[in-house]
Amino acid sequence: MLTALILADSRFPGGGHVHSGGLEEAAARGLVTDEPSLESFLRGRLAGAGLLAAGFAAAAARGEDLGVLDAELDARTPSPAQREASRAQGRGMLRAARRAWPSDRLALLPRDPHQPLVIGVLVGDAFEAALTCAYLAVSGPASAAVRLLGLDPFGVNAIVAALPVQDVATRACSELPALGSPALDLLAEAHLRREGVRLFGS
Amino acid sequence: MRASARLVVSLDSHGNSVVRVLRSQSPLTLVPARRVGPVALVHLVSSVTAPLGGDSLSLTVEVGPGASLELRGVAATLVLPGSSGEASSSLVRFFLEGSLRYLPEPTVVTRRANHTAVVEAELDGHAELLMREVLVLGRAGEAAGALSSSVRATRCGKPVLHQQLVVGDAFVDSSAAGLAGKRVVGTELVLDSVPRACGGGEWWSVVPLAAGGTLATALGDDVVTVTRVLDAI
Repeated sequence: MLTALILADSRFPGGGHVHSGGLEEAAARGLVTDEPSLESFLRGRLAGAGLLAAGFAAAAARGEDLGVLDAELDARTPSPAQREASRAQGRGMLRAARRAWPSDRLALLPRDPHQPLVIGVLVGDAFEAALTCAYLAVSGPASAAVRLLGLDPFGVNAIVAALPVQDVATRACSELPALGSPALDLLAEAHLRREGVRLFGS
Repeated sequence: MRASARLVVSLDSHGNSVVRVLRSQSPLTLVPARRVGPVALVHLVSSVTAPLGGDSLSLTVEVGPGASLELRGVAATLVLPGSSGEASSSLVRFFLEGSLRYLPEPTVVTRRANHTAVVEAELDGHAELLMREVLVLGRAGEAAGALSSSVRATRCGKPVLHQQLVVGDAFVDSSAAGLAGKRVVGTELVLDSVPRACGGGEWWSVVPLAAGGTLATALGDDVVTVTRVLDAI
């Protein structure tokens, strides 16, 4: 449980703070401007990308073959920008984890692993891993919204607290999802092409 | 209604792709074009209104080594609820050692429909697949019913693309992280060895898949805008 808490903590030095999960692009286009539109964005993100990531974290925690899971998650992530964002966050998390929780199973992870697999291996319990992953799928974009849009941190925190993160984590433990997120994929690809100042890597 | 249909195309000794097995069962009616050549053309005609709630439809297509098949729809598919309130389902399976172009017309998910569509494609090392899917959320001015559409393509047993698209939850459909309020979602999957230019715009992209192949995705407010993107790749 402590591992899950540390991984979900925004002060964990895994490099997650440079990713907004598509929020920066959505904000730049005026699709997310206030608390209601942020809540809609986060609910959509949790139901799609959040469930997908949580399902793979749970499967990795259950001890399923990590090479197979890595290839299956690649097949479920058609956007190269999304694959790179997931692997960059996995790489960052793994770097911190090698010092904090050295174990033989970390060596079984593929090179530049997808982040949900790293979370699954480190947390070890399927539900806790899924919960951590589902929470991270919305907490990063939520804090990015505070920084990018100047939204009220108390209001944003209340939105996150009311999201059905536990329900998604429970569902993620019973299936290996394949949910696509076409709009998030298109936002991620467009974000990389955007000219000018970008605060976030994705 | 339960129905299953099967189509087998193989290469003959003259280099022509010929239909070896053609088993239709209404509403899945397969109509081969009367022509001889390297590419066989078959139209998939829905000979009864389908799918309706309660329907279970299954189509199996095999394309042999060196053979080419183009399988086209003739009209948009309207997914409708039945009187019983039951869900409907369709399963399409491709076993490919040759080349298949699968170009159905758009699928319109009407209000109160509840449909699950599954496409499974197994390719060997030399097979090629081009597959288009265009989903329309409701007829004009109509909310969408529930649809789950999933595609799983494997090459030599390894996953290439596995995507499920779920529509009909108004909250998710309207979310910028869901379908961004767009009424039409289109994808075109191309699995071959031809390198393609990748790129994108506000609501479209053409990207390389991790395990080879290309996927075009477009969101839009109408079918014309979306198919124009898909036609370009």
